[in-house]
Amino acid sequence: MQVMTLKTRLADKDRQRFFFAFLAGKMLGLIGACAAIFTIGPWFMGTVAHALAPGADDIQTQVTGVVNGLNTAWTLIAAFLVFFMQAGFMMLEAGFSRTREVVNVLLECIVDTCLCALLFWAFGFALMFGVGNSFIGHSFFFLHGATATYTFGGSFDTGVAFMAFFLFQFAFADTCSTITSGAMVGRTGFVGDLIYSVGVSGFIYPIIGHWIWGPGGFLQTAHNGVWLRDFAGSTVVHTVGGIIALVGAIVLGPRLGRKFKSEGGGLPAGHDLTIAAVGGVILWFGWYGFNPGSTLSAIDAAGIGRVATNTTLAAAAGGMVAMFLVYPRSKKWDVGITINGFLGGLVAITAPCYWVSPVGAVATGAIGAVVVVYGIDFIEWLKIDDPIGAVAVHGFAGIFGTWAVGLFATGQYADFKGLFYGGGTKQLWAQVWGNGLVVIVTIVVSFILFYAVKATGTLRVSEEGELEGIDIHEHGSPAYHPESAYMGRGL
Amino acid sequence: MLELITAIIKPHKLDDVKEALLANGVKGVTITEVRGFGRQGGKTEVFRGSEYSIDFVPKIRLEIIVQASEVQTLIDVIVSAARTERIGDGKVWSMPIGNLTRVRTGETGVEAI
Repeated sequence: MQVMTLKTRLADKDRQRFFFAFLAGKMLGLIGACAAIFTIGPWFMGTVAHALAPGADDIQTQVTGVVNGLNTAWTLIAAFLVFFMQAGFMMLEAGFSRTREVVNVLLECIVDTCLCALLFWAFGFALMFGVGNSFIGHSFFFLHGATATYTFGGSFDTGVAFMAFFLFQFAFADTCSTITSGAMVGRTGFVGDLIYSVGVSGFIYPIIGHWIWGPGGFLQTAHNGVWLRDFAGSTVVHTVGGIIALVGAIVLGPRLGRKFKSEGGGLPAGHDLTIAAVGGVILWFGWYGFNPGSTLSAIDAAGIGRVATNTTLAAAAGGMVAMFLVYPRSKKWDVGITINGFLGGLVAITAPCYWVSPVGAVATGAIGAVVVVYGIDFIEWLKIDDPIGAVAVHGFAGIFGTWAVGLFATGQYADFKGLFYGGGTKQLWAQVWGNGLVVIVTIVVSFILFYAVKATGTLRVSEEGELEGIDIHEHGSPAYHPESAYMGRGL
Repeated sequence: MLELITAIIKPHKLDDVKEALLANGVKGVTITEVRGFGRQGGKTEVFRGSEYSIDFVPKIRLEIIVQASEVQTLIDVIVSAARTERIGDGKVWSMPIGNLTRVRTGETGVEAI
């Protein structure tokens, strides 16, 4: 257990040279940063004049609202709940992985969150919720020109304080970027992960999100009186995240030594089912911010109650259906598939939760779980290595959930009805068409993104590193460290 | 005559070795997760920015009891399956054992393998 002492380090000539070179570099950087701050700083930091006199900016002249305290508080609580889903994702992904890739999973989730917050502040929010054209938004870069409340370009005043709305939407973007890492566990190089995460949370998610949720996006513009309805993000968050995960897993290839069912193998067992199960339930808990929070209004008490109940019923139906569906295969009550099943129910109810009755919610969750179980089989049959089940749970159940709006909407809460409530196929077709377009675009751009990252050689760790274990190779430390009980020095 | 073969191998080679042994008619294998060092020495890990060295590297110890006539073949099988030609591939050795009894039936000797 040899550790270099401070004294020998200071005496080392190479280290001294390195130190001064390093210091000089730092100083250069500092000068550059200062120059940047004094020249463009006032623009994106905002000045006193900005805060007091909005006017020149045409967006700001459209401000109608006064901040509504209740709506803002509700949206913030929901944002905190959605943020807490990160803890659920970390635990679920870590628990479902092998011990040798746990540190990598944890750090990827943490870094995705940090990166996504900065990107969403810098330009993600601007591309998604900025006022622009029907394809992309382009205002509020660095939250510059923020109004008192967020108003969807003056068309609909939420009454929610601007930054509360921003935080809520950041938590959603973060969820999408974390989903993608789930199918790529155990073999993605860390640098590659950073690069593709910039693409996902900086560009793909915000731009596609703008089409459906942003002011004036083309998928929410009525064609023949219907448009794609996605209440809380079955398409925007889950389909996009799940499909990116699918493409990532295809481009990466399976983990070394992974045998598929058709080769007499199967998914390696998760190393800690306690962590995975608790993580799954934390995700369920976070969903109470995800779906009910998307009302953006505390005043819509009936809506919040309905959405929360529908969310619960869909998850419950999903868990039960997945468990009973898999039982005949092994004659065992499988915890892993039950977790994936209720998550599938949650993903499926995300789009229709506001417009369906409790019966519709149970049906949506149940079918969502069926989609997840056979989706996982399908992915295995295609020989794609998805350790967490992210593609089936988020991608496939997200697609079905979007369709479910067109199937189960009762017409009581908005002026459209689903197929089973006498609305015909009009709304269903809008859902299938809109979601299909998102799937196709996501597949194309993420293939381009992943092949671009692959071309830099950073997408996948070296074979040697993967055999050693990605935790030790990339991060220098295993997650579970029996020796540390006896170590005195160096730790 | 019975012999005990013990092998220390790299953990990620376990699947390969197991399959090679099964293909050569071995009926049972016992493994243990162990830690140790040989010529490879320890390795360096990192925790919160500081480096520390791990002297004992994780390995798998694998034990099988076989007839003496099969020992050399099986050692060759293990060696070729476990070899990566990089330092730290491990060692294989064998030694004679006196007694062997199957607990369930009380069979002894070669019968109990």
